[in-house]
Amino acid sequence: MKKSRRDFLKIAGGTALGTGLSVLGTKGVRAAPKKKATPKGPVRIATVGFLTGAAAAPFGIPGNNTYKMLTDVINKEGGILGRKIDLSDYDEAGGVDAQVKLCRKLILDEKVDVILGYISSGDCKAVVPLSDELGGLIMAYDCGTHVLMEGDKSPYKVPKYKLGFRTKAHLGIDNIGLAFMVKKYLPDIKTIAGINPDYAWGRDSWLIFETAMKKLMPQVKVVGTWWPPLFTTDFTAHISALMGAKPDVVHSALWGGDNVTFTKQAMGMGLFEKIRMAYSRGEPYPQEVGKEYPEEQIICCAGTHYFLYPPHDKWPLNKWFVEKYQKRFGKYPTYPCYHAYQAMYTYKHAVEKAAGLVGGWPTIEEIAKAAVGLSIQTPSGHLMIREDHNGVEDVLLGFSKRVPGYPFPILDPKRLEVFPAHMVNAPVGIRTVDWINSWKA
Amino acid sequence: MKLHLKKMIARPKIIIYLGIIFVLLFLPRILSTFNLILFEYGLTFAIAALGFNLLLGYTGLLSFGHGAFFAAGAYGVVMIAKYFPELYSMEILIPGALLLSFIISAIFGFLCVRHTKIFFAILALALSMLVYALVFKFYHITGGSDGLYVKIPSMFGITFEGVRRPQFLSGIYYYFLLCIFVLSFIIMKGIVNSPFGKALQAIRDNEVRAELIGIRVRRYRLYIFIISGMFTGLGGALWSFINGHVTPDISHWVFSGEIVYMTLLGGFAIFEGPIIGAMIFTFLKLYAMGSTVYWMFIMGITLIILVLLLPTGIAGGFKSLTDIIKNKKFFSGEAYDVNR
Amino acid sequence: MWPIYILNGLYFAAFMFLISLGLNIILGVMGILNLAHGSLYAIGAFTAAWAIVALGKGASITFIYLSLISGAVLAAFFGLFMEYFLIRPLYKRALEYQLLVTFGALLLLEDVMKMIWGGEAYYASRPFDILGKIHILGNPYPAYFLFVMIAALFIGILLWVFMAKTKVGTMLRAISLDREMATALGLDIHKLGTFAFVLGAALAGLAGALVVPTTPALLGFGMEPLILAFIVVVVGGLGSLKGALVGSLIVGQTRSIGIVIFPEIELALLFLIAAVILVAKPEGLFGR
Repeated sequence: MKKSRRDFLKIAGGTALGTGLSVLGTKGVRAAPKKKATPKGPVRIATVGFLTGAAAAPFGIPGNNTYKMLTDVINKEGGILGRKIDLSDYDEAGGVDAQVKLCRKLILDEKVDVILGYISSGDCKAVVPLSDELGGLIMAYDCGTHVLMEGDKSPYKVPKYKLGFRTKAHLGIDNIGLAFMVKKYLPDIKTIAGINPDYAWGRDSWLIFETAMKKLMPQVKVVGTWWPPLFTTDFTAHISALMGAKPDVVHSALWGGDNVTFTKQAMGMGLFEKIRMAYSRGEPYPQEVGKEYPEEQIICCAGTHYFLYPPHDKWPLNKWFVEKYQKRFGKYPTYPCYHAYQAMYTYKHAVEKAAGLVGGWPTIEEIAKAAVGLSIQTPSGHLMIREDHNGVEDVLLGFSKRVPGYPFPILDPKRLEVFPAHMVNAPVGIRTVDWINSWKA
Repeated sequence: MKLHLKKMIARPKIIIYLGIIFVLLFLPRILSTFNLILFEYGLTFAIAALGFNLLLGYTGLLSFGHGAFFAAGAYGVVMIAKYFPELYSMEILIPGALLLSFIISAIFGFLCVRHTKIFFAILALALSMLVYALVFKFYHITGGSDGLYVKIPSMFGITFEGVRRPQFLSGIYYYFLLCIFVLSFIIMKGIVNSPFGKALQAIRDNEVRAELIGIRVRRYRLYIFIISGMFTGLGGALWSFINGHVTPDISHWVFSGEIVYMTLLGGFAIFEGPIIGAMIFTFLKLYAMGSTVYWMFIMGITLIILVLLLPTGIAGGFKSLTDIIKNKKFFSGEAYDVNR
Repeated sequence: MWPIYILNGLYFAAFMFLISLGLNIILGVMGILNLAHGSLYAIGAFTAAWAIVALGKGASITFIYLSLISGAVLAAFFGLFMEYFLIRPLYKRALEYQLLVTFGALLLLEDVMKMIWGGEAYYASRPFDILGKIHILGNPYPAYFLFVMIAALFIGILLWVFMAKTKVGTMLRAISLDREMATALGLDIHKLGTFAFVLGAALAGLAGALVVPTTPALLGFGMEPLILAFIVVVVGGLGSLKGALVGSLIVGQTRSIGIVIFPEIELALLFLIAAVILVAKPEGLFGR
């Protein structure tokens, strides 16, 4: 009896104390507790992307250019909480193993504040786990494999990594979007095929596309899948094999130099006379290949990243971004550029939000907590970062078409489709494949 | 007098070794975490290179395919993690990796030891590339070019949930690795100084004569090939915990070439040479990669200078220097005649 | 589509033939496996790409095609350099050293290419675009591939005539058959060795130059062709020209048809074939 009364008093007392403190807390005594000193030096941001090799020109360099451009913009406005950004860039070349070692060096030896980087899904898969392992903040800015943040079963616990983020939506939106597009505009096709690079990105892209197609158009047959290794330079045998299989539409997640080389070789071998390609990441390549780029190819923009969308009159941030990039670098920005914007500004806003809560420069754990639920404006619209540390976006798709006024085919304005985020992003904690399989088609 | 002299020459080495081991025990306190991890990389490469040198320095066979065994050890670890997760403890992983290396080196050895010189090198290269291609292509088993993550295993009943890898590596793993290294050193030294080891050197120096005095050349070559492969595989398994990630690159012939490079850098004529070579190579490569974008140029030119000017490697060059200082004859006691 | 698959295989075999020819000549005459051979191929590709781009859109067709030879020339020059500084000092040393020094050369040349041409991809497709497509049994096929096949055949015949009928060619064959005897008979091994090395390098560079209109020149470009050339040498036989021909055909057709029938297999199938040959007949089909 005595014990329970003591316990009761403990509980009552504790509750009173707690309530009192929380009341005090909400009364604006927030600023008082700990005022951390803002460190004096610059914020050290390391970016990692392909600076050499086939992926450099269409991808790594535009991304890098954007980081440089935005650093100048932010520094001119005073930096992040008064600290200027000290940007250093690193080459994502050398393969997965070299990237693991580089990441370790950046976090343990160079002790950078954050790494914004990684284009290749293979590199991401290996490097993002290092964020928790080594205690460093990593924001993956361009890679797409959905398995990066997903668990083994649905539902799975989120977040998978406390300090690892992906400041964009994953490949689910590209490939589910493609399936919707095919169903809407090409409902009578009978056969599909796939040619995808043989690693996580390619394998996972095809997996999602195939799963979605089975649900939406179960009558369509797959006549073949091809898996050239990443950075293959000779697709001629694959192109002939594709033409021999006679598919109506071919799905491809080929990107970077592979996409350019494939398209050029395919043009030379007459593939586009008989076959339509559906590129899950096709947006940069009409500009790269030039005016000979074939028309009527289905192109996905990895989000709504496109220099003409949202229209400049309706969304001034896109107008600003496109004009500024074009003025400085002579080309229209492509989706790696938009992704770079998202990474940089997610970090900046997360730091600012966290600083508001803790007073002074936040720790990386505090920044990570603040990033969740962040919703920021981007040149493409809005980006939201969810509890699973993934970004969520709408997706834009279209057909390539030559339109006067542009030196390369653009997306046919009459058939631009935007699928909203909730149609193409699996809910938090549910695996994308399981989600698609649960649809009623 | 002569007997005393011999004992005194023998002892300094052991004293030096004990001294080095003593210092190594305190390394986690002296070095930063980052440099300690580099040192551990060096140790695993040292084990792999020592194993490799059993074949090169002592038996006269150059293999450009030892990466396959390194990969056997490393992939042995991750395959057990993937398919037998209940067995994921160090006590099972090390023997498992050794077993896989044994199998692969036995198969390769059987095919390779029928040949020598250029054929041997080509065959080893081709077989290791076959392993590379298979590991690369079987995406759903091995993770293909993405590779597989290496979780921290439990060791002797202790699990490491929630422990970050740098902590693990600067703690119990360091001492474990050091023990295995010392053990491997002693075993390999024993092999080299045994009658078997002497027979191998006889085969290296003159195959025909060795056959004539009754040494079973092909069989001995096979045995040492397997032993060599197993030690390299051991290095690979130990490496996998440090790297945290395993990719097919370690079976590629360029990586095998790095193992050869390390051995040559340190000197293949002296037992300890590969250790020195592995250490220097690890730090040299990192230094080069960190200071310039043209690091392959540095590595390439270093190798070329090494081959042209210092063929006995750094240890060999050092030994020659100490020989001159001790006023011994320049060519006496060289384990390997460079100008065959 | 089968005529196209076979043509693809022939095209692939053609440039495999050229690059493995070079490797084989060096291996046969000098006994060296040149691990930097892929780098010489890449140098040829970069040089030709640069030349084509530099000539610009207005240049005449003949010039464009002639510029491909620049690839062979520069590769030959690098080969000369290599032979003089790296291989020659090691003539008397064990074979292992020669292998290692070419490995060092591979690392070195990779960055030399980066220094000269930077990290970007070089697209130089004019020679390919000019020739356009022809139709074979109703299927479109780029005429440029036929050009490459004809060029390879031409060079193969030229080389065969050279080896069989000319004095220098005979001397080279003599050295590759029996080096000691050739020296005893008074042949200048050093000069002929240099010649063989430079010839091998030029062939590698030419192969790179011919391929570059179809595919971008990039760093790391030479790694896969080196491995493929290696497989051809292993399958066809060390030091044998006939072996290079047969080996290239086998490798080329297997790759082309393999991709149609077993899309997953790619490189692994080729290595399997090489491994089988190495086990059954290690000297290769036509080797000694």
